[in-house]
Amino acid sequence: MDKLSAIFTLGLFQNTLRTATPVILAALGGLLTEQAGIMNIGMEGMMLIGCFAAVAVSFAMANALMGVFAAVMCGIVIGIFFAVFVVKLKSDEFIIGMALNTFAAGTTVFLLRSIFGVKGTFADEGIVPLPSIEFDWLQSIPLVGPLLNGHSIFVYITWILVFLVWFFLYKTPYGFWVRAAGEHPESLRTAGINPDRMKFVASILCGVLCGFAGAHLSLGYLTMFAEGMSANRGFIAFACVIFGMANPPKVFLAALLFGFLNALGLRLQSVGIPPDITAMTPYVVTVLMLVYIITTGEAKKRRRARRLVEEEKS
Amino acid sequence: MNKLKVNYSYMISLTLSIVIALLIGAILIIATGHSPSEGYGAMLEGVFGNSRVLGNTIAKSLNLCLTALAMAVAAKAGMFNVGGEGQLYLGGLAATMVGVVFQDLSPVVVIPCALIAATVVGGAFAWIPAWLRVRLNISEVITTIMLNSAAIFFCKYLVNGPLKSTEKGVVAATENVYAFKMAQLIPASNLTTALFYSAAIALCVWYVMGKTTIGLEMKVTGENPRFSGFVGLEKDKMMIWSMIASGAICGIVGMMEVYGIHGRFTENISNEFYFDGMLLAMIMNYNPFGIIAMSFFFGILKIGAYAMELSTGISGEISQIIFAIIIFLMAAQSGFKQYFSKKFIKLKGEQQNG
Amino acid sequence: MKIDNIDNIVEFKNVSMQFPGVLANDNVSFGIKSGEIFALVGENGAGKSTLMNILYGINNPTSGEVYIKGKKVENFSPTEAIENGIGMVHQHFMLVPSFTVAENIVLSKEPRKAGFIYNKSKAIEVAENLVEEYGLKVNPRDIVSETSVGIQQRVEILKTLYRGADVLILDEPTAVLTPSETKELFAVIKRVVKELGMTVIIITHKLYEVMAISDRVGVMRQGKLVGVSETKDVDEKKLASMMVGREVLLEKLEKTGSPGKLKIKVDNLYVADNRGLPSVNGVNFEIREGEILGIAAIEGNGQSELVEAITGLRHIESGHVYIEDKDAKELNARQIRNAGVAHIPEDRISTGVSGPSSILENLIIGKERRSQFSVKGIHLRQSSIRRYADDLFKKFDIRGAGVDTRVESLSGGNMQKVVVAREFSYDTPILIIAQPTRGVDIGAMEFIHDKIVEKRNNGAAILLVSADLDEVFRLSDRIITLYEGKITGEFKSGEISKMDIGYYMTGDRREGTDE
Repeated sequence: MDKLSAIFTLGLFQNTLRTATPVILAALGGLLTEQAGIMNIGMEGMMLIGCFAAVAVSFAMANALMGVFAAVMCGIVIGIFFAVFVVKLKSDEFIIGMALNTFAAGTTVFLLRSIFGVKGTFADEGIVPLPSIEFDWLQSIPLVGPLLNGHSIFVYITWILVFLVWFFLYKTPYGFWVRAAGEHPESLRTAGINPDRMKFVASILCGVLCGFAGAHLSLGYLTMFAEGMSANRGFIAFACVIFGMANPPKVFLAALLFGFLNALGLRLQSVGIPPDITAMTPYVVTVLMLVYIITTGEAKKRRRARRLVEEEKS
Repeated sequence: MNKLKVNYSYMISLTLSIVIALLIGAILIIATGHSPSEGYGAMLEGVFGNSRVLGNTIAKSLNLCLTALAMAVAAKAGMFNVGGEGQLYLGGLAATMVGVVFQDLSPVVVIPCALIAATVVGGAFAWIPAWLRVRLNISEVITTIMLNSAAIFFCKYLVNGPLKSTEKGVVAATENVYAFKMAQLIPASNLTTALFYSAAIALCVWYVMGKTTIGLEMKVTGENPRFSGFVGLEKDKMMIWSMIASGAICGIVGMMEVYGIHGRFTENISNEFYFDGMLLAMIMNYNPFGIIAMSFFFGILKIGAYAMELSTGISGEISQIIFAIIIFLMAAQSGFKQYFSKKFIKLKGEQQNG
Repeated sequence: MKIDNIDNIVEFKNVSMQFPGVLANDNVSFGIKSGEIFALVGENGAGKSTLMNILYGINNPTSGEVYIKGKKVENFSPTEAIENGIGMVHQHFMLVPSFTVAENIVLSKEPRKAGFIYNKSKAIEVAENLVEEYGLKVNPRDIVSETSVGIQQRVEILKTLYRGADVLILDEPTAVLTPSETKELFAVIKRVVKELGMTVIIITHKLYEVMAISDRVGVMRQGKLVGVSETKDVDEKKLASMMVGREVLLEKLEKTGSPGKLKIKVDNLYVADNRGLPSVNGVNFEIREGEILGIAAIEGNGQSELVEAITGLRHIESGHVYIEDKDAKELNARQIRNAGVAHIPEDRISTGVSGPSSILENLIIGKERRSQFSVKGIHLRQSSIRRYADDLFKKFDIRGAGVDTRVESLSGGNMQKVVVAREFSYDTPILIIAQPTRGVDIGAMEFIHDKIVEKRNNGAAILLVSADLDEVFRLSDRIITLYEGKITGEFKSGEISKMDIGYYMTGDRREGTDE
C-alpha cells in the first residue's frame, strides 16, 4: 500500500499531462491528415524542425512567442511541401513521410552545427522559455487544482485545440469536406469541391500543429534543443491516431493513456519494473486493439451473412 | 524471368535526382564557408584514401544492401515490411545470446548456430504482422511500425536488465562475444568475412527473385494479389513467407553487426539502418541490381560524410540531407514526368491553335 | 457555331473521347429537348456513361463541343455543371458512407450558422422538405452505410434536386433496384418532369424500361450514336437490333457432339455478397461434357457471386458445388483449378491479368511449376517458356510488340486474348467463362467465340455468364435466367426468343410460359 501511494502521487498525474502534451499536439495534426485520407508518418520530422525553429528564433530574438511563430511558419512550409509531393505529385505518402523524418534529422543537426557550432545539445541562458501559468482560483480547488495548475502555457492551449479540432471536423462544413475527401473523395468531387484542396488544408494544419508540438517540446517542456529530441513522439502520435481512430477526443485520451504509461514507467522503477517495459506497452496495446476491432467486426459480418441466408431459405 | 532491360527514362531521373541533390549539398557546403571541392574531395579521400576506410565503406554498403534487399523481398510479394529495425534488433540479440551461452564451443559451431538463431528469431518476429495481414487484413505497415518500437524497447530492457553485461564500464550491452568475431579482411576495418555471407544472401535473393518459379509467383502476387489467388497461386503462403524471409535477412544483418563489428549487442546496435535500406529499395523499385549498385553510392556518401566532418569540420549530416533529397525526387519522379508532359502537351496545343 | 435547335437544353456536337487505348465516344452529335425524358441505351462499353460524364464535367472531351442551354461549355468541371443546373446520379453512388442522409444531401452547400458552423437542424429541415416535396421517402438522420441501395439512390436524387438541378442524368438507375422500387422511381421521374418541367436523361440497357418511361431514345453502339428517335416510333425489337447489331453478320457456329458425362453440379447453393447480403439463393443446375450452359441475367442478380463461389474465390454459405465427384466447398481456388476448372473472370483488369507483368509472365503463370517449364519446379527454363509463350502469342493472335510487352499497355481485346490463351491452354474439362467479350472489338469477339465453341466440341463442360444476350444465345446449348439470385427459367437453345427471355430476367414470369 505504501508503495502504491508512493507511485500514484500528484506528480505522476502532473507528469502525465506534461509528457502527453507534445504527443497530443502532433496527434491532432496526424488525425487531420488521417481523416483526409493521407497516412502521415512524417510527424516526427515536422515536430523536430518545429523544435529547432522555436529554439533558434527564441534565442535570436529573445522572445518565446516569436519562437512559436517561427515553428508554426516552418510547419506551414513543411505541410505545403508534404502536400505538394503527396497530393500534387502523387508520390507515395509513406516514402515522403520517412524521407521527411530523415531530412529533418539531418537538417536540424546540420543547422545546429553550422549556426551554433555545437553538437548534441544546445542549451543557453539566452533561450527564452514559454511561460507557465498559475491560476489562483484554480489552486484553491482540492486535488484537481494542483493537478491542473502551473503548467506551461501549451498544456492549456492543447486542451482548447482538442476541442477546436473536434469542432472543425464535426461541426463545420470544412470538416465535412476534409472527412469526405478522405473517406470518399469522388463524392466530394462530384459535389463540386476538389478533394485535393482539402488534403492540402489538412496537411498544412498538420504542419501547424506539429509546429506547436515542436515549440512546446523545446520551449515549454524543456528549454533547449537536442539532436533527435522528438524521440519517437511522432510515431507515438501516429499510434494514438490509429488507437483513437482519428477521433479527437479518443485520440486525446489515447495520448493521455500513453503519457500516463510513460510517467508511470519512470516511477515503477522503484518497485523494480523497468521503464523500457512500460515504454513498449503502448505499441503492443495498439496492435492488440487493432486485432480486437477487426476480429469483432468480422465476426459480426459473418453472423449477419449466415442469419440473412437462413432467413432467405425459410 | 525479367530480361535485363534498361529503363532509360528511369536512369535519367535517377541521375538527375543525384545531380540536383549533390548541387544542393554543394550550396550547403558553401553556406558553411567551405568550397564544395574541399568538401566532396574530403568525402572521396575518406572513402578511397586507404584500404581501411575503403573496407569500412564496403561494410556499410553491404549493410545497406542487405536491409534494402530484405525490404525488396517482402515488397515484391506485396508486403510492406517497415519492421526491419525491430527484426534486426531481435535477430542480433538472439545471435549474440548463442555466443554468450556457448562461450566454450568452437566458432565453427557457434557461428552457424548464431546465424540460425538470427534467422529464426528475425523471421518469426516478421511472421506476426504477416499473419495479421493475411488472416485479418490488418495493415502490415501500421503493425510493423508499432512492433518496431516494441522490439527495440524490449531489447533495451533486456540489455539493461536480465542480459546486462557484468563487465566493468559496459553500459546497456550484453556480454561480449569477442571470441567469435569474424576475421577482418582488411586490417582494422569493419570489413570482415561477413562479406561472404552478405554476398551469398544477395546472390540468393537475386537468384530466387529473378530466376525461379517462386520469384515469378511472388512478383505476380505483389502486383495483383487478386489475380494471384485467381490463377491458383498460394498467395497467403507466399505473402507470409516473403515477410518471414525479409525478417530473417534483417535478423542476419543484426547478427553481422554484432559478430562483424561490435563484438557485443548494445542498445544502439542499429541507427535506423533499416529505414535507410527500405527507402533505398523503394526508390530502386525493388530491383536487386539497382539496389546493389545504389547501396554503394549511399555507402560512400555515408562513410565519406564522417571523414569530411573530421577533416574539414563541415557537418556530416549533409549526407543525410542529400539522401533525403534524392528520395524526395525519386518518389515524385513519375509525378514530375506527368506534370511536365501535361504542360508540354498544353504548350504544343496552344502553339497549334495560335 | 450556330445551334440547330434552340429548344435543345443540351446539345452534343461531334463529341469524341479518347482514353488510352479506347475510343469511348466517336463523333457523337445529338440534342436533348427541354422537359423530355430521354433514354440513352446501349450495351456495356458502348460509351453512354462516358458521354454523360462529359456533360457532368468529369471528363473533358478530346474533341467536339457541348452546349448547355445554348451556351458552349469548355474546360468544364462538376462545379460548373452544377451551376448550369446539371445533376447526375452515378451508377456507383457518390455518397460518403459514414455521413448521415442529410449530411450527404447538403454536402458542399451546407446550411450554416454564424457563417462557418454547420447548421444541423437546418440541414435536416431542408432534407425533410425535399422528401415532402418529391415524395422520395428517406430518413435524414440515418447513416448512409446502414441504408439500402434503394434509399441511397433516393439520397442521390435528392442531392441533385437540392442543388437546383433542372437536367437530371440517371446512370443505370434500375440496375440495383427491385421491381417495386423501380416503379416508384419511374413515378417520381414522371412527376418531376411533368410538374417541375425538369429534363431527365436515363441511361439503361433494359429496353422495356425505355418503352415504359421515355419520350425519345438514343441508341449507342461502340462509342457511336446509332440513332435517335421518338419512343413511340420504335419497339423493343427494333431497339435491340440497333443496340447489338454488329457491323459484320456473324457466321453460324458449327456445333458438334452431344452432352456426355456429368461434369459439374450445383446443388441448392447459397452465397453472400461483399456486404454480407444474400446474393445467390438456392441455385441448382448441372452441366455435362460437350455442353454450354448460358446464364442470362441483368448485372447484380447473383451471377458474379455464383461464378466466384464455383471457382473457390468466394465463401459458400450453404449448399454444394460438385466438380466431377469432388465437393468444391472443401477446396480452395488452387485445388479447384487442379480438379480441372479453368476460369475467365468477368473483370479482366482486376482479376484476369497482372497488369505490370509481361504477356509472357501472364501466359505462363499457373503452369510454371510443370517440369516442362522449370527444373524440379524451381529453376525456370527460360527458353522453353519463351517458346511456349511465343507459340500461344501467335496461336491466339495477340497483337502487341511481343511477349515482353506489359499487359496493361494492351487494348481490351488483346488483353482478353491473353486471358483466354492462358485459361484455354490449361486443357481442363470444365470452363467457367464470365463476360468473355466485354469491351472487346468484333474481330477479337469472333475469335473468342470460335475458341469457346471449339472447346465445347472437344468435350468441355462450359458455364457461360454474359450480359450480352446475343452472346448467350449464340453460344449456349441451354440457358437459365437468374433474378435476385434465384433461377427464374430454364430453356433449350431455340426454345425462347431474346425478347421473351427479358421477362424472366426481370423476375416477371409471364403466364403460360412458366417452365
